[in-house]
Amino acid sequence: MSTEAKDVKQAKKERHYLTGKEIRAIVKQNNKITRALEKKKKRKAKESEFLTELRDPSNILEVEDLHTYFFTDQGIVKAVNGVSFDIPQGATVGVVGESGCGKSVTSMSIMQLLQGPYGQIYSGSIRFKSYDFKLDEKGKPIPVWEEDAEGNPVYDEVKDRKGNVKRDKQGNPVLERRQKRDEYGTKQFEMEEKTFDIAQMPIKEMHRLRGRQIAMIFQEPMTSLNPVFTIGNQLDEVTFLHFPGSSKADAKRRSIDMLNLVGIAMPERVYKSYPHELSGGMRQRVMISMALAGNPRLIIADEPTTALDVTIQAQILDLLRDLKSRINGSILLITHDLGIIAEMADYVVVMYAGRIIERGTASEIFHHPMHPYTIGLQKSKPTMDSEADSLFNIPGNVPNPIDMPNYCYFRERCSHCIKRCFGDYPPMVQVSDTHWVACHLYDEKKEEEKQ
Amino acid sequence: MRNILAVVSGADTIAAAVLLVLVAALIVAAAVLFALVLKKRRKEQDAIVNEVSSQEELDARNAKIVASGDFSEFDDEIEAKRERIFRDRQAAADRELPPDPDALLEVRHLKMYFPLKKTIGGKVTVALRAVDDVSFKLKAGETLGIVGESGCGKTTMGRAVLKLYHPTGGQIFFEGQDIANYKPKQMRPLRTKMQIIFQDPYSSLPPRSTVGGILSEPVKVHGIVPKGEVKDYVLNIMEQCGLRDYYYERYPHEFSGGQRQRICIARALSVKPQLVICDEPVSALDVSIQAQIINLLRSLQQQLGLTYMFISHDLSVVKHISDKIGVMYLGSMVEFGDKKSIFSNPMHPYTQALFSAVPNPNPDVKMDRIVLSGDIPSPANPPTGCKFNTRCPHAMEICKHIAPKYREYEPGHFVACHCYPQEDE
Repeated sequence: MSTEAKDVKQAKKERHYLTGKEIRAIVKQNNKITRALEKKKKRKAKESEFLTELRDPSNILEVEDLHTYFFTDQGIVKAVNGVSFDIPQGATVGVVGESGCGKSVTSMSIMQLLQGPYGQIYSGSIRFKSYDFKLDEKGKPIPVWEEDAEGNPVYDEVKDRKGNVKRDKQGNPVLERRQKRDEYGTKQFEMEEKTFDIAQMPIKEMHRLRGRQIAMIFQEPMTSLNPVFTIGNQLDEVTFLHFPGSSKADAKRRSIDMLNLVGIAMPERVYKSYPHELSGGMRQRVMISMALAGNPRLIIADEPTTALDVTIQAQILDLLRDLKSRINGSILLITHDLGIIAEMADYVVVMYAGRIIERGTASEIFHHPMHPYTIGLQKSKPTMDSEADSLFNIPGNVPNPIDMPNYCYFRERCSHCIKRCFGDYPPMVQVSDTHWVACHLYDEKKEEEKQ
Repeated sequence: MRNILAVVSGADTIAAAVLLVLVAALIVAAAVLFALVLKKRRKEQDAIVNEVSSQEELDARNAKIVASGDFSEFDDEIEAKRERIFRDRQAAADRELPPDPDALLEVRHLKMYFPLKKTIGGKVTVALRAVDDVSFKLKAGETLGIVGESGCGKTTMGRAVLKLYHPTGGQIFFEGQDIANYKPKQMRPLRTKMQIIFQDPYSSLPPRSTVGGILSEPVKVHGIVPKGEVKDYVLNIMEQCGLRDYYYERYPHEFSGGQRQRICIARALSVKPQLVICDEPVSALDVSIQAQIINLLRSLQQQLGLTYMFISHDLSVVKHISDKIGVMYLGSMVEFGDKKSIFSNPMHPYTQALFSAVPNPNPDVKMDRIVLSGDIPSPANPPTGCKFNTRCPHAMEICKHIAPKYREYEPGHFVACHCYPQEDE
């Protein structure tokens, strides 16, 4: 073969060039896998099929060895490739990484919002501690009945649509036991804590969690709000969906309370306005209030302030921190800004090319970063106090996500590359109780210590 | 309907026509009368505005009102008009001054208004004041950082300086020539000297031409090098910007964001400019790529002696790259000065709030942050007095009525705020 032909072949390989035949083979294989996975998602399943136990009961969410793949015609993109982390109850966990590292896909997997049939949770488990209805033998929720001071049940007369009292054949009014209602008029049922494996849950069952137990705040508030409905209309919908039996007035009361909670000055006016009439910061506040309307236990904030100005960003971060303590929930905060993570998070997860490369508490990650990528990321961001003349830069780019090699993905960009880096992908090494890192530099040191 | 038709088609046609003419005449008369009344009212208002004839007189009167603390008889609308008239007079007086020989770029009283409402005659009645009376100087080889929230007019100012918009008023001196009123044809030879790098590298490159085509087109158009040497010249520029030579044949979609931004930089540099306006060049990039681009911009500046105007909302980046910093709010410059004096001593409350809002990547440091309430007001209808008074934590009564003067407090450090003395002592 001449050198020129060799060069062309090399260039094609570099650009990930595929022939039509190869593509057809890939499509055939992908269809087989995605069809099976879609079938699993659409199956009818009993609750017992996706009930599990948490490894540590103080956690609210445990992600273990999660693999989320996108089956494209060019090959499988392993967007999330074996990710494990926990979210303790009442804590804020921050996920940092560059664009395309799989942080948003992780959050989408938790909500099962992946674009099917291409995007699929391939394997792994996502265990979530939910606060759900207690069911009787027939699978129906058990209501909480209203009782008077002596513990006797209270009865109401049943009325028809016109407001007349319904009567039976003898002419006595038909009675119905009165169910307990909360301040917003929502009927009360007996509740219990259940742990669901979201990865095994059929898509139809997800409505129990989405918006009610886990809420999400999206990056771009303008595209997430519906432009043709008023804010009030969209906020009320949350109440109607998740609190059955509430009237229009109840829903409005709840919505306005939620708008008040996020610090909107004139909730009555905002309730009646359309999304385009509000500024970016206001829209993001509305998004947060919508997330809070379902009274969730976990809030996933996917780049909540990226589209906003610094001064508005400061307002929103203050609001989130304040709300977390008020509703006693947990936050999964996804961002690429290390400053925001430092301010908000208790635990930090650093992702790179679909894998977690380092995780630990905020002070561990910021004061003793171990992985060369984390160190580089921190050095490359100019800060307000730094006086350096030139910034540290990580050379190169994130590798092509299709057909990732089995060695450390950061090898080509790393300045501390050693011999072992040419071997297998490094395992997660525990450095302290809470600090884990995936780098050969540290498993070598550990072995030395052992000897 | 049939009745009317019958009337019209019948003998009463003439009567109907007369009626129509009468109605039309009445409408015209009413319109003329209305216009006259409006004109009279405007004249009356102008008379009130012109009662105060000079700036000194106005200052003395304002000082009296401020001392008494009674703003009840203060008409904000008339006062704003008066202030604008005096500012225009000041601008007209400054027109005669010669340009600063040291400065590569000098901007004086630059105004860029966008019409929102026009009369039938084409006269603008309501305008969006995107840039309102901005002045600064920039020496060759320096970097000026412009910071501010979105919608404060920083991008508009950058484009107006480049004459991508035709400014409404003011002067722009580039190398001693006033280019504000130049026609596009006159601007052509100057285009090689001033270039721009846009924010979004994904939409600012033509998708149907190769990198080589993109980079060699400006070189050919302006005749920077002889025709035979274009390719070598372009390859040389590419090497300077960290692009490999085999990228020459490739198309923009084959590159990542950071590489595309390098192509944009190479395109700007291919005509050997002196002034480069960087309009948020790193905002669309990842953190690790941002550092690469910033370092590239700095090293190019040292090699080629470029002058940058660096527009960004990221304060830490601006602090890293700039020598001078201008803080803009709602179309006006509220603070301007050397990087050192601004960062060690931010004087304007907005600058202080902006600096404190930047998240600090150290989890142990808890900052006492100044959180501004509310949003940036609409530039079409800015608040009277100081534009920042609606969000300012130190707002006083005077701030709501009288606009503060843009004055020099330390050498080279300009601030417009009522917290500092407005008169010489």
